[in-house]
Amino acid sequence: MMGLLNILKKLRSNPDKELRLLLLGLDNAGKTTLLKQLASEDVNHVTPTAGFNIKSVLSNGFKLNVWDIGGQRKIRPYWRNYFENTDILIYVVDCSDHQRLEETGQELAELLEDEKLRGVPLLVYANKQDLASALPASEIAQHLGLHLIRDRTWQIQACVATDGTGVKEGMEWVCKNIPAKK
Amino acid sequence: MTEVLPVEENREDRVASILKGFQVNWMNLRDADTGKILWQNSEDMSNPDIEHEARVPKRILKCRVVSREMNFSSIESMDRFRLEQKVLFKGRCLEEWFFEFGFVIRNSTNTWQSVIESAPESQMMPANVLNGNVVIETKFFDGDLLITTSRVRLFYV
Repeated sequence: MMGLLNILKKLRSNPDKELRLLLLGLDNAGKTTLLKQLASEDVNHVTPTAGFNIKSVLSNGFKLNVWDIGGQRKIRPYWRNYFENTDILIYVVDCSDHQRLEETGQELAELLEDEKLRGVPLLVYANKQDLASALPASEIAQHLGLHLIRDRTWQIQACVATDGTGVKEGMEWVCKNIPAKK
Repeated sequence: MTEVLPVEENREDRVASILKGFQVNWMNLRDADTGKILWQNSEDMSNPDIEHEARVPKRILKCRVVSREMNFSSIESMDRFRLEQKVLFKGRCLEEWFFEFGFVIRNSTNTWQSVIESAPESQMMPANVLNGNVVIETKFFDGDLLITTSRVRLFYV
């Protein structure tokens, strides 16, 4: 959890007392593993999330809540229930899952069109870069059409959630891009 | 013609059906610096009829940051699920968390983990004082409906 505690400490200057990060992506993208990695927890026994996982961190009166919602097809219709008050949207992509690149692109496009997530900064984690078949982050960005986004700031970060490579860099971007109070 | 049920009866029915499908699957305590689990338990700690007991290693009191995690399942969906968690020492509240989950998907399994920095070691009560006197009380609600209360008494071993 030190990762999250450190994020919170960097955010002390933010006037908002409670921050909400929303972690989405298809099933098996690595959302829960990423979250566990941020907390230095064992990532060897992660099972599919059939609901949500939340991590809440409190430090000096500041609260950070990270919401990881299951990515299975039958759960995705419920994602909208968790959009409210989101400060940063984190979208995780399995870069080795070529077959579902289009599907993940469509899901992201729908998120970006949603009124409740309007203007919310977007961080895309291009996960599983350790796999030989993984596409590089630049190609993922193209597939997702990130360069066409005009209504929010965004970033793509290559990462390996299972060993932590790139995870910290992504969270540093998150810290710099928490919007001022709405 | 439909009969209008008294409001109270409706609420009781609702609580009963949520509770019937609600279960705490496991809880754990971690040293949040290392992510290592110091204690875990998989009996259903949502059973309100029993005060549950946890035997926690003493060294948890030396941890700078501790996390409490619970995993729960619900058969019923809920619109405004929330909990109130208190850490009580001899019945006096030392620490309090309010957390609003909002929507709970029917037939879902979910986890909530809260992390808090410990008091400085100089202000920390010793294990023999705390032993058996600390209770973690968690109340689960849907909106203003109390679903159940879980009490876990901590023993430092």
